[in-house]
Amino acid sequence: MWDAIVRALSRARFILSRGRLSDEASEELREHLELLTDRYIAAGMSAGDARSAARRQLGNVSLVHEDIYQMNSIHWLDVLMLDARYAFRVFAKNPGFAAVIALTLALGIGANTAMLSVAYSVLFKPLPYAAPDEIYSAEVVIPERRAQIPSLPATVQTYLQWRKSPTVFSAMAALTPWEASITGDGDPERLGGAYVSANFFSFLGVPLERGRAFTSDEEQPGKDQVVVISDALWRQRYGADPAVVGRSIVINGTNHLVVGVAPPSLLAPTRTQLHALLPFAPRIDVWKPIAPTPRTLNSESWDYGVFVRLPAATALDQGRQQLAAILTEMARVQVPGLKSNIAINLIPIREVYAGKTRLGLLLILAASALLLLTACVSIANVFLARVVSRGNEFATRIALGAGRGRIVSQALTESVLLAIFGGTIGAVVAKWATTAIALYGPSDVRVLADTTINMPLLLFSIAVSGATGILCGIVPAWHAHRRQPATGLKEAGRTVSSGEAGRIRSILVGVEIALATVLLASAGLLLHSFVRVMNSDRGYDVERVLTADLSLFGTRYERGEARATFYTTLLDNVRSQPGVLAAGAISNLPALSASEGASRAIFYATDTDFQRLILARPVAMIRGVTEGYFAASGNVLRAGRLLKAEEPVPTALISESLARRFWPDKPLTAVVGQQLRQNADIRGPLLTIAGVVADAYPGGLDRQPPPTIYRPYTQWASGPMTIVVRTAQEPAALASALRAEVWKLDPNLPIAAVRTMREIVSLTVAERRFQMMLTLLFAAVALLLGGLGVYGVVSYSIAHRTRDIGLRMALGALKADVMRWVFAAGMRPVFIGLAIGLVSAIAIASTLRRVLFEVTPADPISLGVVVLVLLATSALACYLPARRAAAMDPIVALRHE
Amino acid sequence: MTKGTASKTDVLQGTLDLMILQTLDTLGPLHGYGIARRIEQISDAVLKLNEGTVYASLMRLQHRRWISASWGLSDNNRKAKFYAITRTGRRQLTTETENWDRIAGVIARLRSAERS
Repeated sequence: MWDAIVRALSRARFILSRGRLSDEASEELREHLELLTDRYIAAGMSAGDARSAARRQLGNVSLVHEDIYQMNSIHWLDVLMLDARYAFRVFAKNPGFAAVIALTLALGIGANTAMLSVAYSVLFKPLPYAAPDEIYSAEVVIPERRAQIPSLPATVQTYLQWRKSPTVFSAMAALTPWEASITGDGDPERLGGAYVSANFFSFLGVPLERGRAFTSDEEQPGKDQVVVISDALWRQRYGADPAVVGRSIVINGTNHLVVGVAPPSLLAPTRTQLHALLPFAPRIDVWKPIAPTPRTLNSESWDYGVFVRLPAATALDQGRQQLAAILTEMARVQVPGLKSNIAINLIPIREVYAGKTRLGLLLILAASALLLLTACVSIANVFLARVVSRGNEFATRIALGAGRGRIVSQALTESVLLAIFGGTIGAVVAKWATTAIALYGPSDVRVLADTTINMPLLLFSIAVSGATGILCGIVPAWHAHRRQPATGLKEAGRTVSSGEAGRIRSILVGVEIALATVLLASAGLLLHSFVRVMNSDRGYDVERVLTADLSLFGTRYERGEARATFYTTLLDNVRSQPGVLAAGAISNLPALSASEGASRAIFYATDTDFQRLILARPVAMIRGVTEGYFAASGNVLRAGRLLKAEEPVPTALISESLARRFWPDKPLTAVVGQQLRQNADIRGPLLTIAGVVADAYPGGLDRQPPPTIYRPYTQWASGPMTIVVRTAQEPAALASALRAEVWKLDPNLPIAAVRTMREIVSLTVAERRFQMMLTLLFAAVALLLGGLGVYGVVSYSIAHRTRDIGLRMALGALKADVMRWVFAAGMRPVFIGLAIGLVSAIAIASTLRRVLFEVTPADPISLGVVVLVLLATSALACYLPARRAAAMDPIVALRHE
Repeated sequence: MTKGTASKTDVLQGTLDLMILQTLDTLGPLHGYGIARRIEQISDAVLKLNEGTVYASLMRLQHRRWISASWGLSDNNRKAKFYAITRTGRRQLTTETENWDRIAGVIARLRSAERS
């Protein structure tokens, strides 16, 4: 064994210099001959005799040469090089063929690898935590509320009680959104933050990059003025200065000690990934310990996300029951005799990050698999065409004595070379595509997606498509040998009787068209859904509206009146700007926050037993609004009046859906003037309904509009507000003026985001757009491949029926007749493929209703367009060769060999 | 090529290889012509050698790394390739000659037994 390896290695050493070695051997042999000859001459022979004697003594020189050459070569490698050189010559003579195959492979491999890599990193790659499979997110389910609120996060009291009690869980951690405005050292900035339990980082098993995590006594009020900052904030705001750790920074007007810097790879829930009711910022930059004050502990707020660690997966049910039992007991202390089957959902943490994207990703994955399949069929088609037309070449080579092995190995070499080209370009395409997705994909995908290609997945895609090419290359070569060479030569001389191959190719084209139809139909349905989503009435205007998020903090704004004065002054100033038609503010912009912000159970004015009725009454979102908000946002009034600058008595506007739900038998006009009560304000005065406004949908239209109560800002003041400005012209142009107005009033105020409503809506449909664009791209490639397939088959059949066509033309057939024949033959597989594709597409789309929007799986508009596009493409693919055929001179055609 | 002749040339090849190794071991670096002359001289012209095969043998020995080759100048100032035995070649020579002696001994004993 060892010996064999050594010998192989030494061969490799000699193989590179074998040309030189061979020349040197010749020289040595010539020299040797000279010396022998000289010797014989010296011994007294004539020159001629001496030379022949020397020759005799030297023996058969060419045999020696051959020996040496063989010693210095590896036979199969020589054959391979020969085949490769031949293959390159074939490609160079027929660059179109090589390019089509390589590009088809590249697109199939590239798209598929990219999608598989992304899907893998989002759906399967272990999350960057210690033992990530043990981590679950706990949610509370109140069956009576399920229809309206499927689940709730926990309260801080619940979390503390859970943590205290003995359970099957080895650890628990909590987190809740926090808005942090940072001032001093540069521009004021509003950052996403989170309150977390002191053990948060150790719970996840993520060591800090610098400094330390929180200690448990920092969960005490007063000792909690400490923060951990994100790596991004540390680099951007503090220039990666290590001295920041241990320094004090001003957040929301108070000093906080920076104790640590989180690692850049820290993965934490953003936006509403953890729960619809827990709106985190798109990026979390500051972390602060949860330190519940007595006041917090006395109120009830369901806005704490709870992570639990369950070492034994089998104890899942037991754990759920333990948590539910603790919570029920707590609820009974407040409401004795409460009868509710409170349940707990434990959501694996992977679902938190990937749950919402799974369906979309699988959809795109399926589309890319279809594309790869189309690519394979298309390759089979092109190869088949080539091999049939190479029948002559094979027959000639066989007649000249080539063995089956040589024919097959030649075909194999060509296929493998093409697979390597395709794979290489495919890897580049995959790299671009994954990078593009990781940079520009929807945020949920972006957070988890890797920019590196997954090598095993790349190899898998190459193997699948490469195998097709190889199979398609070899099988005909193998068959070629079974035929009598004489038959092959004779046939090739005339028109090849390739009926069988033609039939197979027609079937392949049919399959290509069917696959392209499925992809096009999916893309069409998604595109139509997207158009519908974008053009749907959301209850507010999308165009020419500018928004800016503001958060007031610090002692200056401690009193509600101060905040109210600020907003009133600001809005008045903004309204006086040229180009501003209306301006107002709202506590939570409906486009972004279907279920964020405060929500309260509401009661009829006649209700008294609130504790008993609380689960029977609906829950409404409470929004604080300023005068002018509805005019600025374009939210339409349905009945009654809008809010005035001064509202002396407790007043509310309600959304249309709440009006219909709460007073189902009253017309909207009759709802105006009705009274209701909101929870947590039970002993307060009743609210009088001043008007009913249209429902405001979330930007992505992915959820129903929540029942909403709008309260005058003066009566329901919250810190953060979104300014909404209606403009006469392009809204983005007013952004800097808006900033200037804010800073004129308070230069320390950070403005989180100045965005147009169009940008916000576009953000909320990012995932839908992503799916649509990718499917559309795949469909376009599939259409191109299908068109090429049709073109190939038609040109091929014309080329082999040239004499036939010439004969018919000579006998009086018109150009139109020729065109008709060509079209009839070319379009038949298209029609069949189209029919099969449409039926499959409708069947597939029926299972995907969830990603469609106001579009049925058999949507006539989308499918009609798909049919038109496909027929037009195929017709073009038929027309080009048909025109050539019709333009032929019958005489030339008849002589065609 | 049939199997019989293959094994015969193998034996012959092996013998020639051994003679060349022995020659290089005794005389130091030599070119192909010199090796042929030495074998001719030692064998007293008993062994009629196709001298070309020496070069095939030299290539084979290089493959095995038993000898190394380098260009130099011959006695009459002509450029020639000189071959020298390597350390592994010397080791190989020892084992091969031991083998050879053993086989020669066996054959000698067989022959004497036949004679008696």
